[in-house]
Amino acid sequence: MMELSETYACVPSTERGRGILISGDSKSDTILYTNGRSVVMLDLNNPLKVSIYGEHAYPATVARYSPNGEWIASGDVSGTVRIWGAYNDHVLKKEFKVLAGRIDDLQWSADGLRIVASGDGKGKSLVRAFMWDSGSNVGEFDGHSRRVLSCAIKPTRPFRIVTCGEDFLVNFYEGPPFKFKLSSREHSNFVNCVRFAPDGSKFITVSSDKKGIIYDGKTCEKLGELSPEDGHKGSIYAVSWSPDGKQVITVSADKSAKVWDMSENGSGTLNTTLNCPGSSGGVDDMLVGCLWQNDHIVTVSLGGTISIFSASDLDKSPFQFSGHMKNVSSLAVLKGNTDYILSGSYDGLICKWMLGRGFSGKLQRTQNTQIKCFAAHEEEIVTSGYDNMISRISYKDDQCTNEEAIDIGNQPKDLSLAPLSPDLLLVTFESGVVFLRDGKVVSTINLGFTVTALAVTPDGTEAIVGGQDGKLHLYSVSGDSLTEEAVLEKHRGAISVIRYSPDLSMFASADLNREAVVWDRVSREMKLKNMLYHSARINCLAWSPNSSMVATGSLDTCVIVYEVDKPASSRMTIKGAHLGGVYGLGFADDSHVVSSGEDACIRVWSLTPQ
Amino acid sequence: MSFRSLSRPNARSGMGVADESKTTFHELQRKKTHRYVVFRIDESKNEVVVEKTGNPAESYDDFLASLPDNDCRYAVYDFDFVTSENCQKSKIFFFAWSPETSHIRAKMLYSTSKEQFRRELHGIHYEIQATDSTEVDLEVLRERAN
Repeated sequence: MMELSETYACVPSTERGRGILISGDSKSDTILYTNGRSVVMLDLNNPLKVSIYGEHAYPATVARYSPNGEWIASGDVSGTVRIWGAYNDHVLKKEFKVLAGRIDDLQWSADGLRIVASGDGKGKSLVRAFMWDSGSNVGEFDGHSRRVLSCAIKPTRPFRIVTCGEDFLVNFYEGPPFKFKLSSREHSNFVNCVRFAPDGSKFITVSSDKKGIIYDGKTCEKLGELSPEDGHKGSIYAVSWSPDGKQVITVSADKSAKVWDMSENGSGTLNTTLNCPGSSGGVDDMLVGCLWQNDHIVTVSLGGTISIFSASDLDKSPFQFSGHMKNVSSLAVLKGNTDYILSGSYDGLICKWMLGRGFSGKLQRTQNTQIKCFAAHEEEIVTSGYDNMISRISYKDDQCTNEEAIDIGNQPKDLSLAPLSPDLLLVTFESGVVFLRDGKVVSTINLGFTVTALAVTPDGTEAIVGGQDGKLHLYSVSGDSLTEEAVLEKHRGAISVIRYSPDLSMFASADLNREAVVWDRVSREMKLKNMLYHSARINCLAWSPNSSMVATGSLDTCVIVYEVDKPASSRMTIKGAHLGGVYGLGFADDSHVVSSGEDACIRVWSLTPQ
Repeated sequence: MSFRSLSRPNARSGMGVADESKTTFHELQRKKTHRYVVFRIDESKNEVVVEKTGNPAESYDDFLASLPDNDCRYAVYDFDFVTSENCQKSKIFFFAWSPETSHIRAKMLYSTSKEQFRRELHGIHYEIQATDSTEVDLEVLRERAN
């Protein structure tokens, strides 16, 4: 029996040069954002409490709670809006194809009966407002010629809709049924966000021209501007009103967030500038999204760091956490004075997590190379990417103390560390193996067959190389060369991963043909076979610390745990562990499995043996 | 309009069925003297013959152990179970066991002879076609039987 114990959520997916729109529910104090095809609901008071909705067929872009908190409407890049229940099983209520292109912003009317969606219509309607349950149109929205980046509905009567977009225009519609009233061209660059004050008396638009303009909510007359002295020095990506309507927060590409006081006559004066601590000073600190909910001010950076400030005490440093934005392709569980998990995603980000605590740090790297394979031991990480280099990173706490790249002359396919033998690292490439000692290439051996996977014993005496044809070649390592000892044939597909058991009495191999086999190391006989329960290629494999269980993770999103002493049919399966496929697997201890996958999340499962 | 083309069966191999096979099946069905019967194609005599039978005390795992890993077989198994309404029921399953690792010649032979053989066995409730051990899991039987 496997149960989900913890989820370390992904962070919102961001894009350079554009803001993201996050929203939330003030009653339950949760925030909503999207990453890939998932819509993530995160509890602000406890970031480990996460709920993920993965039913969109295309990458989701924006999601919003209905005013009564019961439903969530989410839009995706295909122009589809899905309305589903906010609690329990997230049952789908309705699905509408609203626009011809991606949906950039979505808003419910205050009575929860109408929804307005704006985005890219490929020339046709770029904004549509419709009834939430029937999908019938509630207005004609012409007036925009380019992508409409944001829309807002006045929360109080008389109802108005404001839209703004890449054509620098801010359009104002009266209704229902909504009709074009007037257009305003005050901005000189993309207008990124428009938001009404909670009482509907004013609305503010912010733009990439670094200005914020305040208008009257009923007549759409310009009232004033955010004062330009001490203003933002970069594009302003998002704006959010405080619950009392007296203050506004804006976030910008100049890496700061500013809180402004709104005066009655509609001009804003700067109150405080919030800078996120712990910034590395790079592009990743540009702030792209914000939300003011109850007492929390949430800002999201381009690198995915979420900072939660306290609105009543702006000088207090914020609670920050981060995570992965892309497929987490590798995972390592490290035991030290504290047990922690290192996860690497293919874009080169390495994060540290602690069981029970969640996010514990991001490794600040000097050279950000992509990561395809990853091996970690104590204070050292070795990664290989898509170029000919192997990166060795030594780190202490969260800082990289030493990072060097070694050119091995060929694209690495798999790598394995032998920490007990002095500093031996074996890397496979298309047709052979490279030996590295102390960070230097000592020999390159051509094996004559197409190599796919590799494992080496921690003491560096024996290595197993798996080939494209499914054969496992066992070698004994002497000095800097390999002597072939045996060839094992059983697999019917290219070998994808090989792992030795922690007690070194067995090893397990898995292939692209969905099969895994456990072998006895000494006799080279199969100990457990018929591990064929996956329906797609096996990506990763892990042994439990007591060597009694093997877990396999596959592209079919399942994780299956087998016990070595029992037949393969008495297995424990987790279905749908990660949307898109499971790519990383590890055992935190004998009763907890950690998995990571395409959905950029990391999950911890607890095992209760039958 | 020609109706014959609508009901033409798949290719047949002209395999015969030994009388012993039919009587052993009847014993399983009527007299419950066997838990399972495994059939093999004897190419020299060009018929389907009984390879092995299991007594009623044997379990499903014993039956699975008598299926070879690298060769095809036919089998019938008498499955006892309790339904959701708490009724004790018994259903007969026919297995067309054709593992991926067996010879292509064996697979062709067994698949072309299957229809002819099955027609001789009256009273089969469910048929299972299996190409590896995951497809003959006890769970599969439980799901099919109701």
